[in-house]
Formats: sequence, C-alpha cells, structure tokens
Amino acid sequence: MEIKTFTVADLQLALLSEDFWLAKTLPITKQRALSFCQNPRAEKDDPVLLVAYQDNQIIGYLGILPDKIFFNNADHKLGWLTGWWVDPSSATKGVGVILLYKALNTYRERIGVSGGSKEARKVLHASQKFIALNPLKGIDIRFRFNASRAVFRNFPWMKIFGVLFKIAEVLLNEIVNFRRFFWERRNRIRQRLNFEYFSSIDEETGRFIERHHHLDLTRKGKAELNWIMTCPWIVSAPQKDAAARRYFFSSISARFFYLGVKVYEQNNEMVGFLMLNVRNDRMSVVYAHFENRHAPSIAAAAVYHALAMDVSTLRLYDEQLVKSVAGLHCPCWSTQSISRGFFLSKAFADILPADCRLHGGDGDFAFY
Amino acid sequence: MAMNDDITQMLFKVIDELNQLRPREEHLKKDLATPLAGDFGRLDSAGLINLIVMTEQRTAQELGRPILLTDDRTMSRINEVFRTLGSLADYIHLLLNEKHDG
Repeated sequence: MEIKTFTVADLQLALLSEDFWLAKTLPITKQRALSFCQNPRAEKDDPVLLVAYQDNQIIGYLGILPDKIFFNNADHKLGWLTGWWVDPSSATKGVGVILLYKALNTYRERIGVSGGSKEARKVLHASQKFIALNPLKGIDIRFRFNASRAVFRNFPWMKIFGVLFKIAEVLLNEIVNFRRFFWERRNRIRQRLNFEYFSSIDEETGRFIERHHHLDLTRKGKAELNWIMTCPWIVSAPQKDAAARRYFFSSISARFFYLGVKVYEQNNEMVGFLMLNVRNDRMSVVYAHFENRHAPSIAAAAVYHALAMDVSTLRLYDEQLVKSVAGLHCPCWSTQSISRGFFLSKAFADILPADCRLHGGDGDFAFY
Repeated sequence: MAMNDDITQMLFKVIDELNQLRPREEHLKKDLATPLAGDFGRLDSAGLINLIVMTEQRTAQELGRPILLTDDRTMSRINEVFRTLGSLADYIHLLLNEKHDG
C-alpha cells in the first residue's frame, strides 16, 4: 500500500493532468479540487488530500481543509478532515488508520472534524486524540407536509396509494400557504425590513461581519465567505455526471446555491447578514451576524426567505435565531431539534476557551 | 531490556481488554498467529486504533518504556507490523531494543 500526499500545488497540477481524472475511483471531484486550490486560508504546500493506493488502484482517501481558529488573541492553523472514504473490501487493511494518523502527523496533531459518519466517530473516539466540543444545537422548521417519502421508505407497498398521498399533501400544504399569507401580514416583514441580495461579499458587509465575529471560533471574513460562495463543492445539475458516479461523496444536486442577504431596517440601517445555502428543498443558514436585539427580525427574515423560496425545511443553528423562532409563530407543520458535532484534536484542549462561538457552516458543513 | 515473553504476556492483556469491547463471536484468540490487519485481518479501523492505543499504554505501564506506533515509519508498514499478534510482538521488541541501544 502506498499513501500519496497532495498539497495545494499538487492539486493544481492534478487539475491540469488528464490521467488523474481517469481513475476508476476518484479521490476528489474537479469542482472540489478547484475549491481546495482557492482556499484563502491554505498555503501552496499545505497537504489537502491523502490517497491510499494498492496495485495502482485507489482504496481510500481523506481530504483536509486548511483553516484557522481564533482564541486567546491569536490564530491557530488546523486542518478539518473531510471526505474520508475507505474501500469496504479493504476495511481490515488499516487504510483508515493510516490516513487518520498521516493527517494528524502532517498537521502536528492540529486537526478538526465536523460531523462525520458513525464509523468515523468511532475511530476518532478510539484514537483518544480528540475532544468533542459542545454540540451546536439547532432546529429544522418543516414548512411542507411531506410524509409520503418517509412512509414509502418504511412501507414500500404503500406506493400503490401514491396518488392519494400526493393529493393529501397538496391540500395540507395549501393550509400552510394560507397561514403564510396571514403570517406575512401580521409580521409586516416587507414594511419593517428591506433586503439586499448578493453572490459575493461587498465592503459594507465585510465591515459588518468584522464588527460581529470576534467571538467566532473560525472568524470567517469577507475573503473566506466569498470563497465558500463562489467555489462550491456541489453543482446544480439534473443528474449525476460521470465523475459523480466515481466519487463517494456529494457532488451534484438538483438545486444548490448560496445567497447572501443584507437585512436593513426602514431607517436604512443594516441590522443583519445571512448567508443562506439552498440544497434541493432545504435551506440552511450557514452564517449569520447581527446584534442580539435584532435576533427576532433576522429570524423573521430567514423564515420569510424560506417561504419565498418554497423550501420544505429551514435549518437554523444560531442560538439567538433558534430562540427567536418560537415567538414568530411560523406557518410550519413541525419543528425538530437537531445538533452538529465538532471535534478538535487534544492539542487544543488546554487552551480552548469555553465561550467560542460556532456557526452552522463551520468545519466543512458550509459546503453541503 | 524486555524479553519476548514479557511482550507476549503484555499483548495478551491487550487482547483481553480489546475483547471486552467486541461481541463474543468476534473475540480475538490469545495466540501469536492471530491475524490482526491485512487481507486476513480481523480488525476494522476502530478496532485497530483501539489495539494501537492500548498497546502503547500497556507497553509504557508494564514494560516501563513508551513506544510510538502511530508515526509515519510504523504507518508505512502497517500491514507488515500488524499482520499477526506475533509480528506486532516482534516490532515492539525491535522498538524497545532500538531505544535500549540508543
């Protein structure tokens, strides 16, 4: 078995190579590789991809996303693990173990993990190299009644009643539309708030973010948020392309985009910033900045946009937004508590302050 | 310097500890021929990492000297070092001897 380490510079060369993209199994997509190469927090010689080969075949890979975390008046470089895959037929060959320790050794044990599969979390726990941060708690607000998908998944024979389910869902969702009409009138969103949309961060927003992100663990600024918005890992496309079929992780979605929203009050004062990610019928607030007193307005703005974009689910992780949603009486069917786990290597354990703030897009979450 | 027997007994204790985390039907035999990783290996990634961590800890506790089984040198030979319990014992012996000589 051979492990090849690709730095940012190597990945730039790989993008120009034809052979690299002919492999039966791809360790990364071109879209993701382009994004890795544009990462404003990565240096040219930062390792960003580890690939395990046996007999010239790829049997495992692990991506690393260089980033910085900020605390104690200093920034600390680390790599977030992302896209960790091992060929199931090589599960007992120690491939995952080599990839993990290679990443830890390369980054001098300064590694972070956001989320991860059950198997990955088992491995991290076994290594005794990581501490779990307090999970980021959020909610899923469900606007659309969409029970048929879950019912058909558990009881496929019910598909014979598919038409009846669809009719029931349409009728029930009309109730939401009806409630939405009154919700918007009651909250007077358009009278109270103005919005400005953008696909890359302008100077005003950049300054606004800088004034509000001092407690953030990853302190994403203009350059980093622009990078996320303009270098996505997932492409909107009607179906999987040839590369997507050879790559284990997501690379294609029917609908995928980011939208920046500046929120103004009627006096033209900017009171908030939302970075929204829409993937199929789900919208997530991946980054949000505002002062606490404006949280109800910003939460209302998030709900307003979710309804305007006709998504089934709005996902929020910001603590103040989550608290504010309860008072909005949203026209939704249900809400469900959710959480996201973050792990940092023990190298940070003794120096990490308790009050650092995480966002729903931290780690590699913003890209999904 | 640790004798082969000391290393073997230490590894058998590691196997006892590891088996406590595994279902009965997946228990490893306390036998130097027991396959660990590789084509005939019995351990998945989490199992192998548990074995590595427990071995490092017990070596320090029982043989009095710490060893590192997660450095690039060991990782580059992972299927050779962790092929069987016996090959792991030989490798630990080698590491302890190196330290002793150094």
